[in-house]
Amino acid sequence: MSRRAKESGATIIRYRGVVKRYGAFEALSGVDLDVHAGEVVCLIGPSGSGKSTLLRCTNALETIDGGAIEFEGARLPRDERALREVRRRMGMVFQSFELFPHLTALHNVAEGPRTVLQARRAEAENRARAMLAKVGLSDKATSYPAALSGGQQQRVAIARALAMEPDVMLFDEPTSALDPETIGEVLSVMKALADEGMTMVVVTHEMTFARRVGDWVAVFDAGRIVEQGPPRQIFDAPTTERTRDFLSHLGWHGETL
Amino acid sequence: MNFDWSVVGAHRHALAAATGTTVLLTVATMAIAVPCGIVVASVRLYAWAPLRAMATAYVELFRNLPLILLVYWAFYVLPIATDVGLSPFATGLAALALNVTAYNAETFRAGIGSIRRGQLEAAMALGMSRTQAVRRIVLPQAVRRILPVLASTWVSLFKDTSLVSVIAVPELAYVAMQIRAQTFRVLEMLTAMAAIYWLLGYPQAKLVDWIQRRYAVTE
Amino acid sequence: MQVDLSVITDHWRFLAYGIGVTIALAAASGAASLALGFLVALARLFGPRWAKPAVVLYIDSMRAVPVLVVLVWTFFALPILTGLTMQPFVAALIGLTVHLAAYAAEIYRAGIESVRRGQTRASLALGMSRPQILRRIVLPQALVRMLPAFGSLLSMTIKDTAIASVIAVPEIMRQSETLAGQSFQPIEVYSFAMLVYFLILFPVTRGVDRIYRRVAHLGRS
Repeated sequence: MSRRAKESGATIIRYRGVVKRYGAFEALSGVDLDVHAGEVVCLIGPSGSGKSTLLRCTNALETIDGGAIEFEGARLPRDERALREVRRRMGMVFQSFELFPHLTALHNVAEGPRTVLQARRAEAENRARAMLAKVGLSDKATSYPAALSGGQQQRVAIARALAMEPDVMLFDEPTSALDPETIGEVLSVMKALADEGMTMVVVTHEMTFARRVGDWVAVFDAGRIVEQGPPRQIFDAPTTERTRDFLSHLGWHGETL
Repeated sequence: MNFDWSVVGAHRHALAAATGTTVLLTVATMAIAVPCGIVVASVRLYAWAPLRAMATAYVELFRNLPLILLVYWAFYVLPIATDVGLSPFATGLAALALNVTAYNAETFRAGIGSIRRGQLEAAMALGMSRTQAVRRIVLPQAVRRILPVLASTWVSLFKDTSLVSVIAVPELAYVAMQIRAQTFRVLEMLTAMAAIYWLLGYPQAKLVDWIQRRYAVTE
Repeated sequence: MQVDLSVITDHWRFLAYGIGVTIALAAASGAASLALGFLVALARLFGPRWAKPAVVLYIDSMRAVPVLVVLVWTFFALPILTGLTMQPFVAALIGLTVHLAAYAAEIYRAGIESVRRGQTRASLALGMSRPQILRRIVLPQALVRMLPAFGSLLSMTIKDTAIASVIAVPEIMRQSETLAGQSFQPIEVYSFAMLVYFLILFPVTRGVDRIYRRVAHLGRS
C-alpha cells in the first residue's frame, strides 16, 4: 500500500512543532511529523540528532517543552493516570531490551496483562504463550533472560509489548545492541508485524530495513527533520545535502534489489 | 606455666547466658535497624530536599564514627537527653541500632539505586504506575543485591556487640573478662572467649559467603 | 544543660597527644597490614598447595572474631604463652595488623582476580614471563580497582584504633575516657572526641572517592 493510501486512513500520532530541552541544550527544535494507521515510519539520522528523544516523548517518558503531540486525535494528557491509559495503547521496545531479569520469558510477557490490565493469571499466561509463539520462542517460555541470546531477548521484549495489544509500536534502535547474526531474526519479526498492518515508529540504523519495510522515512539532524518522504526518495534521490552526507557516511551507495 | 581449663567448664552456665545476651543484642538491633534503615533510605531517595539532606547527614555522621565512642557517648548523653534512666543493655542497644541503621540505610539506598533506570521505564511503558513498577520490578531485583550486604552487616554487628562490654552489658566479652578477673585464669578465659566467638562467628561468615554466591547478580 | 568547653581547652595537650597516638597507630598498623596482607594473598594465589587452606582458615577466623577479643588476647594472654611482656601500643599494633591483614588479603585477591584473563593472555603472547605480567600488567590495573576497598579499610583501621583504649593505649578514646572521668564532664569531652574522629574520617572517605574517580580509567580493560 502506498503512503497516499495510508494517508487517507486515521492519523495515529501527530507531532506539531515539538521542542524538548535539557537545560540549555535543545534536543528537539520544532519537529513536525504525521504517523498514519498501518504505516511504518522510520526515523534515521546521526547519533544525538533527537530521534530517540522524540520517541521517548511520544509515550511521555520525557515531557516536551513546546509544541504538541497528539495520539489518536487527542493531545497527550498531563495527568499521570490518564498517561498510563495512553501508554497501554502504545508498545515500546528498547535498545537494551530491558527484560525483567527476575522473571521467566513467559512471566515477562504476561507481566503487562496481569499487572496493568488486571487479567487473570491463566488468561495472561495464555496470551503470553500466544505472543511467544508469534515471535518464534515458544520453547523458551520457562527460560530466564540471562539464558537467552540478545536476539532472543529482544524478541521476548517485542512479545511483551505486543501482549498489551497496542495500537502503535515504538522501537528505539531495537537492533543496535545485537550481534550481526541475531539482527536478522529481530528484523524478520518486525517485518512480519508490519505486514500485518501494525502502526510502527522505528528509530534505526538499519537502512536496508528502512528502505524495504518503511512507508515513510524522516531524516533527523540536530533536533530537526531535515527531510522526510517515501524510502525511494530518501535513499535513491535525496533532495537535501544533509541527507546525502549522512547516507554516504554510512556507506550507503544504494541497494540493488 | 600451669593451666587450669576446668575454670571454663565451671562457669559454663554464666558463659552460656552471656552468649544468649550477645545473640539477643544482635537480633534486637537488626529488628530495629532494618525498618529504620528502610525509612532513612526512602527519605534519601524520594523525600523533599531538606529532609534528604538531614538523612544524608545522619548516615554520613554515623558511618564516620567509631562505634565504641558512640557507646560511651550514648551512656553519658542519653540519660540527660531523654531524662530516662536506661539500663546498660538498652543504652548499648540504642548505640548499636543508631550505627547499624546508618549502614543499612546506605545499603538499601545503593541497592535500589543500582537498578537501571531502563527497568523502571520499561515497566512504565507497559502502563504500570510508578508504585506498581517499583513494587513488582525494581524491589525484587534490589532485594537480591541487598541481601548479601545485609548478611555481611549482620556478621559485623555480631562482632560489634563485644564493644558494649565497656558499659558493663553482660554479654559474652564482659562476662568472660569478669570471670578472668575473679579467677585470675587469664589465658584460659581469654582463649575460651575467643573460641566461643570463633565457633559462633565462623559458620556465620561461611553462610554469608554462600548467600553471596547464591545471589550473585549476572546482568 | 550547661556546656563548658574550658575542659577541652585546658587539656588540649593531653588530647592532642591522643590524636598523635591514634594517627601513629592507624598509620603503622595500616602499613603493616597492607604488607602482610599482600604476602598472604600471594601465598594463597601462587603458593604451595597447603598454603591455600591455611590462608582461608586465617582469613575466615579474622572475620569471625571481634577486634576487641583479638586485642585483649594479644595483650593479656600472649605474654603468658611467650613469656614476653608487651607495651600496650605494641600489642595493639600486632593485634590490629593481624586482624586487618586478613581483610587486606581478600582485597588483593579480589582485585587481582578481577583483571580480565585476556590481559594475561595478550602479555604471554608477547613473550612476557609470569612475574613480569603480574608486576607490569596485572597489578597496576588491579591496584586501581582496589582503591575504593582500601579506602574503606583505612576508614575501618582508624575506627578500630579506638578499641585499643580497652588495653590502655593512650589514643583519643582512652585520653577522652581519662579526662571525662577526672573532670566529670563526659558530654563535652566525648562530643569533642566525636568531632575529632569525624574530622579525620570524613576527608579520608571523600579523598579516596576523589582519587579513585581520577584514576579509575586506568583500571578498566
